[in-house]
Amino acid sequence: MKLLIKGARVIDRNSEFHGKVCDVFVERGRIQVNPGGKISADREVEAKGMYLTPGWFDMRCWLADPGFEHKEDLESGLTAAMYGGFTGVAALPNNSPITQSKNDVKYLANNGHPIVTIYPYGAVTLGCKGEELTEMIDLHTAGAVGFTDGLSPVWHSDILMKALQYLQKFDGQLVNKAEDRYLTKYGTMHEGKQSTMLGMKGIPGIAEELMIMRDLELLRYAGGKIHFATISSAKSVALIKAARKEGLSVTCDMASYQTAFLDSDLVNFDANYKVQPPFREKSDRSALIRGLKEDVVDVLVSNHVPQDMENKKLEFDLAEFGIISFQTVASDIAALSNEVPVESLLDKISIRPREILGLEIPVIADDETADLTLFDPKSEWILDRQTSHSKSHNSPFWGKKLKGRVQLVVKGAKVHITP
Amino acid sequence: MSQLSQKHLLGIKDITRKDIDLIFKTARSFKDVINRPIKKVPSLRDITIANIFFENSTRTRLSFELAEKRLSADVVNFSSSSSSVKKGETLLDTVNNILAMKVDMVVMRHSSPGAPHFLSRHIKANIVNAGDGTHEHPTQALLDTFSLHDKFGSLEGMKVAIIGDILHSRVAISNIFALQKLGAEVMVCGPNTLLPKHIAELGVKVELDVMRALKWCDVANVLRIQLERQQIKYFPTLREYSLYYGINKKMLESLDKEITIMHPGPINRGVELNSDVADSDHSIILEQVENGVAVRMAVLYLLAGVQDA
Repeated sequence: MKLLIKGARVIDRNSEFHGKVCDVFVERGRIQVNPGGKISADREVEAKGMYLTPGWFDMRCWLADPGFEHKEDLESGLTAAMYGGFTGVAALPNNSPITQSKNDVKYLANNGHPIVTIYPYGAVTLGCKGEELTEMIDLHTAGAVGFTDGLSPVWHSDILMKALQYLQKFDGQLVNKAEDRYLTKYGTMHEGKQSTMLGMKGIPGIAEELMIMRDLELLRYAGGKIHFATISSAKSVALIKAARKEGLSVTCDMASYQTAFLDSDLVNFDANYKVQPPFREKSDRSALIRGLKEDVVDVLVSNHVPQDMENKKLEFDLAEFGIISFQTVASDIAALSNEVPVESLLDKISIRPREILGLEIPVIADDETADLTLFDPKSEWILDRQTSHSKSHNSPFWGKKLKGRVQLVVKGAKVHITP
Repeated sequence: MSQLSQKHLLGIKDITRKDIDLIFKTARSFKDVINRPIKKVPSLRDITIANIFFENSTRTRLSFELAEKRLSADVVNFSSSSSSVKKGETLLDTVNNILAMKVDMVVMRHSSPGAPHFLSRHIKANIVNAGDGTHEHPTQALLDTFSLHDKFGSLEGMKVAIIGDILHSRVAISNIFALQKLGAEVMVCGPNTLLPKHIAELGVKVELDVMRALKWCDVANVLRIQLERQQIKYFPTLREYSLYYGINKKMLESLDKEITIMHPGPINRGVELNSDVADSDHSIILEQVENGVAVRMAVLYLLAGVQDA
């Protein structure tokens, strides 16, 4: 297909067209920017007021396949990711079996979706239990792009230290979800006034902060590099900012939905608001926004965690954590752009995650292979059974009118246009 | 017309001062009824009420059942000591099965905070929360405050200390809301590990020393140590608890005023309350139990009269 994207603003700091409004022509999977003369395209997309970026990359999502195909499988997950604007996703290892062998990595890496490429994470520890290291060199050789226990923290201090040391052989990226499980045990929501009123055991910010402090000390001791996944508290932002100033190799991300709600929004015991880390307080929200502005928060992730109805339509404390979120990253970004420059937000969902994982970064320039996402901050839509492509429906945005959507994704010669 | 502002009684947080006044007024007339030789009124004839208890309960269930029977309602009981989920059936399925047999009201106790709120989004029947985990126990707070109202005429400016395991206590949360709505001042007291970290944000005083709490208050509502609801250890031994947080007669006699002692029951005698206090003139524990039936009659009667908006 010959595709012409007309009048989009290019956001790609590696491109000479960065910040400029351009016409981008894609023919046989190759890019031509501002083609002169008469262009005959099979499809023209009017993109005035929209942003064209390198294809979005999700650094944290759970595809649930293999093992939990009743929640999501590769087909449904990647379709949702594609509609969400992603051309690459880094998949968490918390499947059954856990991604901890060559075969496990290859099952994910070789899925063959035309537009969305899976970049599997390997588990740091066997069974993501935090006790014994996996064969990380072998997993890396097989194609694992980073190492994490995903939804679980690497809680064991000695194991975390050894992982940091061991990964230095190939400059491997360790990704940890900072959580002291003793302090979060039985917790269901942010610890604060709201949890007190609702009689629910809280998940205090300190459970995250304490773990970040520990990890930073271990990093200082052992060397290597660490990336903190889904930070949520004000103090976490401050700790990471200070560590980076000191010269430690530390990066972090947050879920794009993290600032969309506060703990006080949880009034009706609706398990669609049950996420880990939890929605926190105003002061945490402001610090995260500031963290985004100051680039302390490097990356936005979907933190897509599908849960079937049987695990969500329940009493709050019995329901599982997590929400589906591939398709709402765009509306989150549109909402965040009221407080953070949109160029910066788009960088955090396209270029920055690939940099951290050491992956090839697509560029919007002549003769480059097309890997593109077209984001419309104004388009309005509703997340429902018609528009959502995940197998699960667990989202606090379900049934709500949202603003901001991805209109188009291109990977080589393959084009997906949101109907 | 006098009517409650809510279709359900899920928690004290959701009801208004006006609702509480109306419940008290109604309870007072039902209290007269249950003290007559014929203790029964036909108010809820043809109404079927299901008491669904997913947690052990003797007195609350009995109190509700008596209230229902004295209102001439038809009553069915379902109890299961473990959560229904553990048996492979969801809460929603269990309740829908019971409702399919044409039940008008549900009185439910459940170990999960918010379980009745969850239910209220999915079923049509009126719901009375008879205790949801560590969240609320609205009828207990109503009967507690009604008992004080009965004794003192008003709660305005009264100082009430809630003493004991606040962290695991739905009675505490509901009492705080009810007392504040009625104009009383509230203090919570207990070992710091049994006080929610953010409890002061609810506008209550926090005290770690029982003697100081007793000196401050007009009324001490002493809570049961909820060993069954503690998933983690919060204090070293019951012995130490009873020595430093238990209340005995000597302590009360050392005060320069007389204070009223309440307890939601069942009492761990010799732990949080000594028998010489529980059975003394200070205590209104049995009045609480009597008033419980009247208050529950009032709640059921008033909810049955709420039409769908």
